[in-house]
Amino acid sequence: MAVPAALTSKSPAIPHVSLARRLGRSDGFVAAMMMLPAGILFALFFLWPFVSGFWLSFQRWDGFSDPRFIGLGNYWRLMKDGVFLLALKNSFIFVIVSILAKNILGLALALLLNRVTFLRGFIRASVFVPVTISFVAAGLLWAWIYNPVFGLLNAGLEFVGLASWKRSWLGDANVALYAVIVVDVWKWLGFHAVIYLAGLQTIPSELYEAARIDGANARRRLWHITLPLMVPVIFINTILSLSGAFVRNFDIVHVLTQGGPNHATEVVITAMVKAAFTNSQMGYAAAMGYALFVLVGGICAILVYWLGRTRFKV
Amino acid sequence: MSSTRDVPPDSSRAFTAALERIGIYAALAIVLFQTLYPLLWVLFGSLKTKSELINNVWGPPTSPILDNYIQAWQMAEMGTRIVNSVTVTALSLAILILVVTPCSYALARLRFPGRNIVTGLVVGSMLVPPQVLAIPLFMVARDLGIINSTIGISFIYAASIMPLSIFIMRSFFLSLPFDLEDAARVDGAGRVAILVRIMLPLARPGMALIIIFGFIEVWNDFFLAFLLLRQPAVQTIPLGLVNFFQQYDSLWNLYFAALMITTLPVILLFVLMQRQFIAGLTAGAVKA
Repeated sequence: MAVPAALTSKSPAIPHVSLARRLGRSDGFVAAMMMLPAGILFALFFLWPFVSGFWLSFQRWDGFSDPRFIGLGNYWRLMKDGVFLLALKNSFIFVIVSILAKNILGLALALLLNRVTFLRGFIRASVFVPVTISFVAAGLLWAWIYNPVFGLLNAGLEFVGLASWKRSWLGDANVALYAVIVVDVWKWLGFHAVIYLAGLQTIPSELYEAARIDGANARRRLWHITLPLMVPVIFINTILSLSGAFVRNFDIVHVLTQGGPNHATEVVITAMVKAAFTNSQMGYAAAMGYALFVLVGGICAILVYWLGRTRFKV
Repeated sequence: MSSTRDVPPDSSRAFTAALERIGIYAALAIVLFQTLYPLLWVLFGSLKTKSELINNVWGPPTSPILDNYIQAWQMAEMGTRIVNSVTVTALSLAILILVVTPCSYALARLRFPGRNIVTGLVVGSMLVPPQVLAIPLFMVARDLGIINSTIGISFIYAASIMPLSIFIMRSFFLSLPFDLEDAARVDGAGRVAILVRIMLPLARPGMALIIIFGFIEVWNDFFLAFLLLRQPAVQTIPLGLVNFFQQYDSLWNLYFAALMITTLPVILLFVLMQRQFIAGLTAGAVKA
């Protein structure tokens, strides 16, 4: 009704309004066309695998013969599978230790960087270099650092008189998982530090000056000014490291230990790939993926809710 | 009284400040050492003979052997791998830009029903990393017949980094002023013309950011390539490195050389672009 009225409008006073209104009406179609390519990619490589994989997780299938529907069979089996449970436990240790290390060390490094002016750019760029190299390169590099024969770590321990600490870092089931986590932290530390540094730079310096005049020492300034104001940045860094640590550790584990020795460094993703491609249990592997998805999604949601509440209270 | 007691003598205050500064730089020196020395160690190692590698663990090579690089290049079939990696990365980023730009513009600037739902889908899928979907994704790729296809995997890479890229580009488009666009619309420009002629040049920093992120993600990826590129002829650099490492036992100096060949270009690129890189990264993270 309004469109023909606008089109046939003979009043020269309001052509702009009618033109804008006409364009406004066509937004729906233009928007659909603009989002179509992204929608196709999303449907093909996200929605389709998401739905078909969910269906697959209720079936027993070796990848070739006819799949058989077994209901929740795969999920029941997960709960009794010692290797999967160990992998789940390792994933949780991986997540907790790496998040704490990345955030505490990252914030500490950012606080240091924030205090210096000389060479700041160079130091900031240097700590960021490991972020840019691949997990494969970082993993291979550390495989040689941990090498029991000529590795840097054992040579360094001998050099400082701690020869008794020497060991096969990736072959010893007691330390292998932590040795892998160190590599993950090494690679990502600069990333979190740079984000923390940017956050620190948004804090107005008047606040610190006022606190100093009131006689607050460095520790109290950190506790009462820096940390409360950094809550949103801590939140971002935690979410970034959480989703990363849960599911993006395949590369590093595969390169360093392939899940060994005796599953000591097995994480859910490596267990999933083994189930699918070594044991040809496609349905079971898909169930592992969904179990992990539900866990990560649930934890993320709880964390967002909880941090969101505390953030608004502060 | 209290004011004179609180202020220490000048020399003592300067002394504490200097001590603090020394402490800060000492701590940073340790940080720099643990980041840079391992890389330097690989560079040194790549220029040593195998026996020197064991006898001279720490220092630079006595007589650098560049031949290691030629050998590593040939044994790891580096030429093919580099061509594959360049093809896949360039194709993925081209697809990404073509798909992400109009979509994020529409989400930021157009009014249409369901806009919030689509935005919610984008954010939601950001939280589901492709690794979780690895097995079904492999099945889909098999059904589509794109296993061992560099073109096929490029589409999958583009799809996997698409949600985050749309999110970043959308916030860039949102931050641009509306006046310019309104002026162009009053002059009768269509939505597509506005996007291409006015908005794109202004959103260039956002594009640079998603290209840099995408580059690191695709160039360095091992996992999807491991799943989907099963023939040596189509494999990318990370796969080549791992194969080389697992195929020949104890050619350590050659591994070092291969590692340097694949890592140095990325580090150089980063050093050249680090200003834009860190600026873009922190702008996105701290604003959001």
